[in-house]
Amino acid sequence: MTTSTALPPAPVSPGPRPKKQVPHNVKTSRRAAWIFAPSLLVSFLFVYVFIGITVYISLSNWKIGTSPDLSLRQPFGGTYAEIVQEQRFQADIRNVVIFTVIFLVLAILGGLIAALFIHHVSVGKGLFRTVFLLPYALSFIVTGVAWRWIFSPSTGVNEILRSMGIENPPGWTTDPTILGALNDPSGTDFLKVQFGIPVALLPIIFAAAWQLVGFAMAMYLAGLASIPEEHLEAASVDGANVWQRLRHIVLPQLWPSTITCFVLLLHVALKIFDLVVAMSGSGPGFVTDVPGIYIYNYLTSRYDKASAMAIILLLLTLAVIVPYLIRGYRKERKA
Amino acid sequence: MRAPNKLKISLAVTAAASLIAVTGCSANQPAGSSAGGSDKLEITSWWTSGSEADALNVLIDGVKAAKPGLSVDNAAVSGGGGSNARQALAARLQAGSPPDSWQVHPAGQLKSYVDGGQVADLTELWTQNNWASQMPKGVAEAQQVNGKYYTVPIGVHRGNVLWTNPAVLSKANVKIDPAGGVDGLISSLKQVQAAGATPVCLGDKDIFASSQLLESIIMSRAGADNWKKLFTNEYSFDAPEVKQALQDYKTILSLANKDHSAITWDEASKKMANGACAVNLMGDWAYGELVNAKKKPGTDFTWVTFPGKEDIFDYVGDGFSIPANNIPHAEAANAWLKTLMDPKVQTDFAAKKGSIPAVKSADISGLSEYQQEAAKSFASAKVVSSLAHAQAAGAEFAQTYADAVSTFNGSGNADAFIASMTQAQKTQL
Repeated sequence: MTTSTALPPAPVSPGPRPKKQVPHNVKTSRRAAWIFAPSLLVSFLFVYVFIGITVYISLSNWKIGTSPDLSLRQPFGGTYAEIVQEQRFQADIRNVVIFTVIFLVLAILGGLIAALFIHHVSVGKGLFRTVFLLPYALSFIVTGVAWRWIFSPSTGVNEILRSMGIENPPGWTTDPTILGALNDPSGTDFLKVQFGIPVALLPIIFAAAWQLVGFAMAMYLAGLASIPEEHLEAASVDGANVWQRLRHIVLPQLWPSTITCFVLLLHVALKIFDLVVAMSGSGPGFVTDVPGIYIYNYLTSRYDKASAMAIILLLLTLAVIVPYLIRGYRKERKA
Repeated sequence: MRAPNKLKISLAVTAAASLIAVTGCSANQPAGSSAGGSDKLEITSWWTSGSEADALNVLIDGVKAAKPGLSVDNAAVSGGGGSNARQALAARLQAGSPPDSWQVHPAGQLKSYVDGGQVADLTELWTQNNWASQMPKGVAEAQQVNGKYYTVPIGVHRGNVLWTNPAVLSKANVKIDPAGGVDGLISSLKQVQAAGATPVCLGDKDIFASSQLLESIIMSRAGADNWKKLFTNEYSFDAPEVKQALQDYKTILSLANKDHSAITWDEASKKMANGACAVNLMGDWAYGELVNAKKKPGTDFTWVTFPGKEDIFDYVGDGFSIPANNIPHAEAANAWLKTLMDPKVQTDFAAKKGSIPAVKSADISGLSEYQQEAAKSFASAKVVSSLAHAQAAGAEFAQTYADAVSTFNGSGNADAFIASMTQAQKTQL
């Protein structure tokens, strides 16, 4: 009962906003419009206009960065038709999908576990929080270089493995093997790469997850702090064990944190560039190549191809973000 | 109270932002249209590391000596093997405010600037000074696009050098004979392997190291003339010599360190000098890298030209061009180009940079043993342009080649490599 009276204040404050009492104070709203105008204009120009320009370039004949050719390429969309049949493009799409899925699972699960641990530990809370959050403060290039040494086949962890008597330690980022390959391309098919999990990508995913676990943890810690103690106490009184409390009270109430984590980490995964550049580059047969590196490589030699890849990357992001936004918008309207 | 506060803050932020914008604009102004006239010169390059910066200073001192009172603005941009500098330059070219001169690789890379109408035709300057007769034919040709000169060469690097570790080779009782061709090289390398050592060091985290190895093999198998014809589509990547070269490349790759895709070219060169393997193919910028790492030429490492049926010099060049339009200080830029071609300046530049002079009359007696040998070979060998460094063909073709090599490294599928390269020969040349 106490909780239900404690909760309402939160929704109350955003409540009046949708009712739009604008006419009540026209002066304020005009002033607000003026204040917002520069940022609206700037974001419109630098986001939407530039996306439009990129779309146009991807459809044009503009090849060399320094000599613009804005005539439309014939047949229409030829650049897209050209790149989808490239081995490199197909490898990039495979890699970014695999990277995103495994990275999200690792980072979110790791963050949840770390948060639960810190939330319940009684000594050194601050220390643990700092330890987990610290990697997040570093640049991908810095950690990437360190991880490159760790996963270098001739040094790093393999030294330890060899000293333990393992004669053929893994090649890590140099291993071109595809785990669980779904197809075996002959070279003449449309599909030119094996679709599966590239082994070389796993150390990079691990490094990325390690770095962002702290971020997920911070989100979950905030979520955990907002779970009313009374809920857990009531459950204990009713005889729920630790697992049942976690399963039926904590996790459901952490769902909003999970969604936020998911969305914020997703764009890290789709845009990943610096970490891969530092750790492995494109790798043998593009096993660790990602769209970001593709765009960078083609910027000076094929502006249209780089732009087309950027648009495809944008579409990939939209495919996940738009449903989330729609869901959020609907919720808001219901409220 | 709160709302007006917020308003004040946002106004302050807006004011600050516009202030930055305004000062930014005014700071840009003098670069474009200075009142200084001819006593100024702005140079763009990507030479920022120790030896490169020293070499660039030789050129700057040279032009200052030729034109007393000249103030030179060194607008070098570091990083990305020059790609950062080229992006910065591209922005300035599009904005119509170019520097007085900028660094350019000849041939392929030069062509993209010529196609864009951004570099000035220097043919008159070349014929007036009779520069073409002062350098090997291949070098003079590389400074041209469609028969006209657009750049001036300052130095020459060689791409096809095989750096060797004498201790590892003698332990396996192997001597690499440049005249033994690729077959001879491979049997030597197998002998090294049989003696229990790793034959080849390779560091292709940046793919150009592999591209350069494969290009050296193709040149050796097909010969200099056919190599040149690959870029006029008179000789095909489908030719039997190229197929053989791909097989050789695969064999050599199997004899290389397993972690090659995880290490960089300089790490591989140092590995070789440290005795981790017998040979390492790399351009002669590796020489400077090894000497900087306190390795002694002749004892810690030696060198041979990549074995082949003829003496081929895989040319990677440095030069400077000037803008076709809106040149801020034409007279100073002219003096700059003439300074670059001064034999003494070329010698001093080479001594710092580790390259060799492009001009034949430059005195090389003070240069290192390697440089003297390279200079001698440069005068007599067949000079061809490197594809791995986007010189033999334009940037698009070079990128297609780099991608095809990456793919081949993973799959070992020669047919796929040939298919994508023959396709590129038809559409991208």
